[in-house]
Amino acid sequence: MPIAPKPNSALLIVGHGSTQNPDSSTPYFEHADEIRSRGLFAEVHCCFWKEEPSLREAFYLIDSDEVYVVPDFISEGYFTQDVIPRELQLSGPTTVIRGKTFHYCLPVGVHPSMTDLILRRAKQVAPHADPAATTLIITGHGTGFNQNSTKAIRDQVALIAASNAGYAAVLDAFMEEQPFIADWDKLSPTPNVVVVPFFISDGLHSFQDIPVLLGIEAEIGPAASQREVFRHNPHPLRGKSLFYSSAIGTERLIADVILDQVHDFDITYKH
Amino acid sequence: MLRLAVANGIHRIGEIEIESIDCNDRLKQDDDRGIAPFQVNAANNSFKLCHADDAAGGHDLAIHQGPAAARELASYAEDGSYRFLKAQRNLRRGWVMLLESAEDLRLALDQFYPACVGLWLAQRGGSLEVEHLRSKLQRQSGMYQRVRALSDDALQALVPPTCSPAVPCARRILWQIDAHTPLLPSAASSDDGIPAEVAATEAIPLLCREACNHFVAECLAAAKAQKPGTGCA
Repeated sequence: MPIAPKPNSALLIVGHGSTQNPDSSTPYFEHADEIRSRGLFAEVHCCFWKEEPSLREAFYLIDSDEVYVVPDFISEGYFTQDVIPRELQLSGPTTVIRGKTFHYCLPVGVHPSMTDLILRRAKQVAPHADPAATTLIITGHGTGFNQNSTKAIRDQVALIAASNAGYAAVLDAFMEEQPFIADWDKLSPTPNVVVVPFFISDGLHSFQDIPVLLGIEAEIGPAASQREVFRHNPHPLRGKSLFYSSAIGTERLIADVILDQVHDFDITYKH
Repeated sequence: MLRLAVANGIHRIGEIEIESIDCNDRLKQDDDRGIAPFQVNAANNSFKLCHADDAAGGHDLAIHQGPAAARELASYAEDGSYRFLKAQRNLRRGWVMLLESAEDLRLALDQFYPACVGLWLAQRGGSLEVEHLRSKLQRQSGMYQRVRALSDDALQALVPPTCSPAVPCARRILWQIDAHTPLLPSAASSDDGIPAEVAATEAIPLLCREACNHFVAECLAAAKAQKPGTGCA
């Protein structure tokens, strides 16, 4: 959904970041670059939980008096509901802090337009696999602490299963809760399996942990950017053809989802 | 503000030398180097950034037009290691960045030294809010809650090895343990955020208004290592 230019407003993209993995923050900056290039906002900035600039420092990046804050996170959960509001000192959908008005949008991962991005990514990674002979698995971290972290994935699974995408099966699977991604072959009834990691970046989980759980690699390898050769699809494993994509957040069109969340905020709270 | 500051003699931030280039000089330099000239807004000076150790020239420098390469340059040290703290004194050399406007200058500097221009401007304008360490630790949640139990002594002991001006961070620490408890004197707590060879009036200081999350992570490691009930490691 195209949004009207906001020449007097700033966009603040909030990410997790990492002190260990240099690839972790790359997608956020790419999303910011993409939106900045469209000239829709007076300013576009990123801030992070684990990297610089921090969420508290973000205030000092911004000159505009109105700021849209979009968590570039994959689900509602601890960070979007506790950490980000606490660090940015947000008390509701709109908060005025030292003369600046902050609008707190929903995270990108819960927007309905993510469905199209998942299907697009699945088709990119396995362009010749017949959906009728293919299982699509959307995988995430999973944690017993917060059910919301898996809800976004389960919602996407339901949407795709109900669509006309034609996959023989559409499943959710997780690193640390059932159904486990390590059991991908037992979960999948088809000869082809496409796995799309529902993460923002190709960081520790999607490019180092999950490949081990899938059986693509015997042990955790270096960061994605430090590899000479990215993984080659398909991987003949456990009697099936496995297609593994990079994290959904590395899709450049996530920039559109960020703008969708700004648009939806305006529809919900400003009209 | 930034353009004015550079016009008035500010030429350094961290390890980066900032040079304001007159349009005519700039076009001549580009011509001498065989660089295709780009449009320069006559109302704005353009700017050149490079590592301070390369400011005198002397060897081949990779030329970057615009701020796009700043994040990559800032992310990796010469040895390829990841610079997760951007004020580490190991910025790679061998490059020069040409910027068309003060907006691009700010964009580039915010990649090299995130938020440091804004922090400095806020300090000059009297609006910089400093957050002391105890307050930062008190608001931690989840697994980080246990950092609240660290004693003042334990926290003081963490500052020199975590915030040393040599390695890893060259920011000037503005925060204390709490409003009544300053940091003990050390190389880390006395760094002024300005390179020693540059006058204070000619540099944008690198300011630390609040302990970073790297410091909090070190607090968590110390909290996990401490003996139960002692508050000390």
